[in-house]
Amino acid sequence: MQQMDIVTRDADRPPVVRTAVTSRRTFLRRASIGSAVVLLPSVFAGCEDTTNTGGLTGPGTGTTVPIDFSRGDVAVLQLLSVLEQIEADFYAKVVTNFSGASLTVAEQAVISDIANHEAIHRAVLARALGASGSIAITPIYGTLDFRSRTIVLAAALSLAALGIAAYTGASQYLVEGATLLLAAKIASVEARHASAINDLMAPLSADFAPASFDEPVSLSQVAFAAQPYVEEKLAFANAPTTFVANPFDKG
Amino acid sequence: MTHRMTTAAAREDSFTIDPEIIAAVEARAAAIARGASANMHLRALLALGSVPIALAALARDVYGQAPSDVVDALQFALLLEYLESDFYQRATAVTGLVPTTDATVIATIAAHEAAHVTALQALIGARGATARARPAFDFTAKGAFAGFTFAASQYATFTLLAQAFEDLGVRAYTGQVGRVVNDKHALNALLSVHSVEARHASAIRRLRGRKGWITGNSRDDLPAALQPVYDGEDVIVQAGAAIVDLAASFGGTDAATAAFDEPLTMAQVTAIITPFLA
Repeated sequence: MQQMDIVTRDADRPPVVRTAVTSRRTFLRRASIGSAVVLLPSVFAGCEDTTNTGGLTGPGTGTTVPIDFSRGDVAVLQLLSVLEQIEADFYAKVVTNFSGASLTVAEQAVISDIANHEAIHRAVLARALGASGSIAITPIYGTLDFRSRTIVLAAALSLAALGIAAYTGASQYLVEGATLLLAAKIASVEARHASAINDLMAPLSADFAPASFDEPVSLSQVAFAAQPYVEEKLAFANAPTTFVANPFDKG
Repeated sequence: MTHRMTTAAAREDSFTIDPEIIAAVEARAAAIARGASANMHLRALLALGSVPIALAALARDVYGQAPSDVVDALQFALLLEYLESDFYQRATAVTGLVPTTDATVIATIAAHEAAHVTALQALIGARGATARARPAFDFTAKGAFAGFTFAASQYATFTLLAQAFEDLGVRAYTGQVGRVVNDKHALNALLSVHSVEARHASAIRRLRGRKGWITGNSRDDLPAALQPVYDGEDVIVQAGAAIVDLAASFGGTDAATAAFDEPLTMAQVTAIITPFLA
């Protein structure tokens, strides 16, 4: 993995690269203050990890988890299953921390539904992959404060945005029609989640759908963004070298 | 215009990049930098070294004709987008229908549907076909919603139709993606619209005080005429096996159905929207 930096933007200035963020909590606080900072899972890896609440070590320091794209659809589903494992584990921890957290009862109801959906997505992908295809990862979150409404919602939104972009971008590599259909069935539910979380964060604003099109991201970008949440080291083999990126391009 | 397809067998070192493609990428990058339209959370991702990938993907490595299936799927999607864009355009063109509190949400969706129309027309044109004409719509659905004229007192009717159209759109796109699997640009486009329709659906449903996702085959409080939008959403088989056991500890059958948006066929969708064609 290449060195990751914090990227900030606002409406009028070009991107600014930051390198000196001392903790994930600091980053998340900053992210929650203003819209100028892009909250992106990948940037979590740029933060030093002092009190890991998940694994024993930092992201990518555990055993290597190979994802070999010579296996075709299996490898694509494996990568997507990494995201579903992170999401399911994340929401389970959010639900566990409901008492003492600042989420309203209505918000807890939304989160509880999403937690169930993600747990089911995780289980369905694992079953689809079978014993020979399933991979297990250990989700980690640094010092993420699961009792902070703002931080929880912001992290949830990042995961949902990544999920949508990942399903959208990964689908072009799926060969089996049944697998592509399964991915599409899940992708739109991830989008429903993102919209609902946006509605909790900024009710009745335009944030629920920030663009006319949800842009796909490549497989390597998905892994890049997911790795900060994963103790194991995600390692691609035989990854596709081409990526059709832009939904605006007419082809 | 000649249609281009990118094959999995293509390799980056075999690409040649047309100057106008580079210009298009640069224009797109500038648009992203301006914050024109890209999802804010993804802009940074796109900025992280993806331009060479985009260039590779845009290289004109293989030319071919789009299969009729692809054009057919795109034309079908365009009909859906005409329906939605007309619906929201009428709503935003009148005063008094959309409450001030909801105006941003409705205007956002209206703008997206218009953009979808434009994009699909271009995709169809790029495949050597002529985009279907915009039909006239009857939003009373031949009397099923008699008297609905987008009048100021009819916001409840407007939002229930909006919920139906958005949920229908999600399921319709889910049903079409398999038909464009060999045209990765068309696939990207349909998927990129598909999830945005789902964002809209969730937003409209929540405006109406409902959950953002579909439980079982429930139409919630919508009239029976709209039940076909929800028929078949109660599937509990995924990836070839019943998932009730997997969902037992996670919300049971309700969650098992809500966690997936089931496809509708073109025939099913056509039957639902035909009454809305004038």
